[in-house]
Amino acid sequence: MAAQAVARVLLPARSFFEQTGEMMILTARTLVSAVRPPYPYGEELVGQFLFVLKLSWFPMTISTFALCLGAPGLQAAGILSLFGNLDRLGGFFVVTAVRFIGPIVTAAVVAGVAGTAITADLGARKIREELDALQVLGVDPIKNLVVPRFLALIVITGLLDIFAVVFGMSAGIAAELLYRQPLGGFFATLFANALITDLAASVAMCSMFGAIIAVVCCYKGMTASGGPAGVGRAVNQAVVIAFMGVFAFLYLFTTVLLASNPELQSIR
Amino acid sequence: MTGWLDVPRGWLEAFGEIARFGSRVAGLVYSGRVLKFFGESLRQAGILILGSAVIIWAFVFILGLQCGVIGAYFNRSIGAPSLAGLFSAYCDLREGLPYAFGYILSAKVGTGIVAELGAMRISDEIDALEVMGIEPVTFLAATRLLGAWIAIPFLYLVGVAVAYLASYIAVVDQIGDVSSGGYLLIFWTYQDFVDVVFSLAKGMVMTTIIVLVGCYYGYTASGGPVGVGTATAKSMVVNIIMVHIVGMLGTLVFYGANPRAPIGG
Repeated sequence: MAAQAVARVLLPARSFFEQTGEMMILTARTLVSAVRPPYPYGEELVGQFLFVLKLSWFPMTISTFALCLGAPGLQAAGILSLFGNLDRLGGFFVVTAVRFIGPIVTAAVVAGVAGTAITADLGARKIREELDALQVLGVDPIKNLVVPRFLALIVITGLLDIFAVVFGMSAGIAAELLYRQPLGGFFATLFANALITDLAASVAMCSMFGAIIAVVCCYKGMTASGGPAGVGRAVNQAVVIAFMGVFAFLYLFTTVLLASNPELQSIR
Repeated sequence: MTGWLDVPRGWLEAFGEIARFGSRVAGLVYSGRVLKFFGESLRQAGILILGSAVIIWAFVFILGLQCGVIGAYFNRSIGAPSLAGLFSAYCDLREGLPYAFGYILSAKVGTGIVAELGAMRISDEIDALEVMGIEPVTFLAATRLLGAWIAIPFLYLVGVAVAYLASYIAVVDQIGDVSSGGYLLIFWTYQDFVDVVFSLAKGMVMTTIIVLVGCYYGYTASGGPVGVGTATAKSMVVNIIMVHIVGMLGTLVFYGANPRAPIGG
């Protein structure tokens, strides 16, 4: 009885540490084979880049606009209108849209839309034993399948973050217009508070999100097993792990960024 | 050029199909026909609690920490660090929690339902149910919806508490600009019971949509093992969009005309 209880607690913990370790190994092998010649993955890289962009642009624009119109837009505008300083919404949007909401929506869309597609694709190849066939043919699956997805997601997630910020800002403009405000004050506080540090940190953070999502989704896809239910289960686990990893990284990154950059700690 | 519009067009087509399927399932629950399988509903609720509760709360905890950190630094920057509770109260309860809940629910529960039902559809178990005289939509989809309605409100309310705890830890213990009493005074001033009800309403609408979308994509999966994976990925796209739209409409309806803040007269 006691042994059963201990096993029930320890088994998930053990598989958690095993999987984390295997993902770390996959990351290291991906990085090594990305820089070591030859470089056969150029075409696949472009293909994956366009694939992710094609899947993500529509959910991305709608999601960012909706989230930024609701949360920092209307909610903050309601408070600010009580104080009569709705022009300050621009400064508030730098804090929320650039530092917080742009990155999380980008991560959620890329993990939910592109990451799931990558896991489903690789998982299907694993189930149909195509990955084993590749290895028999002497083609390294990591170099030819994982590396292009890894690099493509790093680049595209960083770039999509800029679009997220743009659509977030347009949601801020919509909120100002809903409150029948002139836009001069919004843009004045927006550009007074917007720093290169903020945007650069946001894009860098999103690139790291892309790396996390790519590694998790490729790992789960390449280790899918168990027939028809296996691929679906792999996608399920991949997106949960990707979300948890991305949010944990977001918290650590924000803490370090804000604590180490005093110029971000004043509103101008 | 047409390739770039495939995603929105496919999404619109799927939207109509999901609406039809969803209204059918919701009708089965409302008319009480699902009560024939009440035991199965309770079992689904139990699976939801045992399988997803810890992950949902862990995710919400991280969101609470993030809200606390952002809020503490924002209020320091405007020279009012003691008002960090205002940002936390808004970010946790009104906005952040429904979104975080929607994200993790669509990731854990939504895709889980697709994978489970999709595997049943691929291995012809759903047809077998029909042959045995059991209405498959009632037995598989409606019971899951009822199970979610039974279990999720409690998971959500505990999630509210978890996020509050996380924000408290981040603001008072980690950043430390404001004392415990000062933080809690502002924090409790800027929320009331109605806010909790509004937040829960947003969360429950998201839950309903996520479960229905998951059931639809699982129930209509086709094309072998690969099809299940593709259906799982597709359900995630719809869920992500719907979560954001519901969140925005909720804010617009609940707080658009009245900020509900104890400021001024």
